[in-house]
Amino acid sequence: MISVADLTKRFGAKLAVDHLSFEVRPGQVTGFLGPNGSGKSTSMRCMLGLDRPETGTTLFDGRPYHALRTPLHEVGSLLDAGYVHPGRSGRNHLRWLAASNGIARSRVDEVLDLVGLSAVGGTRLRGYSLGMRQRLGLAGVLLGDPHTIILDEPANGLDPEGIRWIRDVLVHLASQGRTVLVSSHQLSEMALMAQDLVVIGQGRLIEQSTVAEFVERYGERWVRVQSPGLLALRQPIEQGGGVIDEVDATTWHIRGLTCPVVGEMAAAEQVVLHELSPQTGSLEDAFLKATAASQEYRSGGQGATQ
Amino acid sequence: MMNLLRSEWIKLRTVTMHWVLAVIALAFPLVVTLLTAVFNGDSSEFSANDLISVLTGTTVVASLLCGSLAAASITGEFGFGTIRPTFAATPKRLKVIAAKVIIIVSFTVELAVVIQLIGWYVGGAIARGQGATIDLADVPTGVPAMVGAIVLTALMTLAGFGLGLLTRSTAVAVAVLIVWPLIAEGLVGQLLVLATDNEQVRNWMPFQAGIRLAFVDGFGDGPSRLTSGIYFGAVATALTAMGAWLVNRRDA
Repeated sequence: MISVADLTKRFGAKLAVDHLSFEVRPGQVTGFLGPNGSGKSTSMRCMLGLDRPETGTTLFDGRPYHALRTPLHEVGSLLDAGYVHPGRSGRNHLRWLAASNGIARSRVDEVLDLVGLSAVGGTRLRGYSLGMRQRLGLAGVLLGDPHTIILDEPANGLDPEGIRWIRDVLVHLASQGRTVLVSSHQLSEMALMAQDLVVIGQGRLIEQSTVAEFVERYGERWVRVQSPGLLALRQPIEQGGGVIDEVDATTWHIRGLTCPVVGEMAAAEQVVLHELSPQTGSLEDAFLKATAASQEYRSGGQGATQ
Repeated sequence: MMNLLRSEWIKLRTVTMHWVLAVIALAFPLVVTLLTAVFNGDSSEFSANDLISVLTGTTVVASLLCGSLAAASITGEFGFGTIRPTFAATPKRLKVIAAKVIIIVSFTVELAVVIQLIGWYVGGAIARGQGATIDLADVPTGVPAMVGAIVLTALMTLAGFGLGLLTRSTAVAVAVLIVWPLIAEGLVGQLLVLATDNEQVRNWMPFQAGIRLAFVDGFGDGPSRLTSGIYFGAVATALTAMGAWLVNRRDA
């Protein structure tokens, strides 16, 4: 269990993290979401004591990070896969990490094997791709077999097979009862692996809930109807307050009405339906809606006008 | 602490640049000293004092290289970002810094000891083979000078490490370490002599005081070897202490 309470971090005049509080429960993957510059990475650094927060505490199973004698046995973290010396081999990078917490050298080869880097363990890190560095970073996280795992954008630079692999690894680790907190911009991946979400914007907590609750609250909902006789439904739908989005001649998306209401309208008009189904927007849609007011950096054109 | 020392030793020995600097620091005084013995050993005027002077004099340059090595060992951590996983693995930052200091100073002191032993014994053997009379008993200040050169290496390492902690930049730390003792201190010292009309001021410039540790003779009216060493040691310790304080306070 991770408990973050009242975390505040300021860089000069900029308030990067603003009295942020949330909890991360064990046994599931918790996604840490927010737009660029929302304070996710800063929050993670503060949680690990790497940045000094102005206020607030972070407890790992009731203890602050600085009180952990051998943190790698308790909290595995990967904040940036680029934090390596390019002249050092992958194996030596893990060896100094392992030695600092009294972890046996044999464990280094075990985790290298686990992440599929055994063959390049002796290669200098300047020869590693970003994806290989991510795998090495995850090997470092797993060195001490910790019960809590914190990862900042672990899928960056990974190919589709690598993304799927890291998703499977994290879901597996969570299924063993570990606490897993992962930040990512890949919302489709997050939707597949996370059960809980912590969403922040401009350093403040926007929402902490399950993925389903989040999508329910912020995601768009509509009814999909397919029928060869849709035209007969236009009048009752519009009179009932529904908004029709014509996909094609036989398919409509109707907003503002529920499936039972549309079904009853179809029955009253004696229209045969080929499909009548509730639809829910994606996590991405919900995320964009939830964080719309907190987007610090927007793209130009269409996005900027929304 | 033993785990940390092991970890820091792995870090130090697994970067090629550290070994390049160490080999140059080891080779420079030995090559110059041994070549001096080879080419001057047949001179009747070549003495143990000459041999030790060359050996400790060139060790001063080696000590600057050791300081640069120490600076590079810590600035590299900031430059490549490895300081973050380091502090994540060991949240007590002052313990990490203490382990780094112990490892880097132990390493450079070993280098300095090897330089003095090989320089004296091999250089002496070469010079004797050429006909020179080389006897340590002829130079009462010989052993103190060689020990002083070892202490100077340790303190220069500490000073370089401290500058690295303070600047977090290899280029700046090494530039200060080389330019300050070799050029800037001379100019500042001269200005202070002119301003105070006191020649002794020059001897209290920190690095000049440190270099006096390796003097065989020529102390004149200035501070003694011990006083100079304590003074430079205090400066080097202060640099590292300030750096450690800042690192402990700042974001990693």
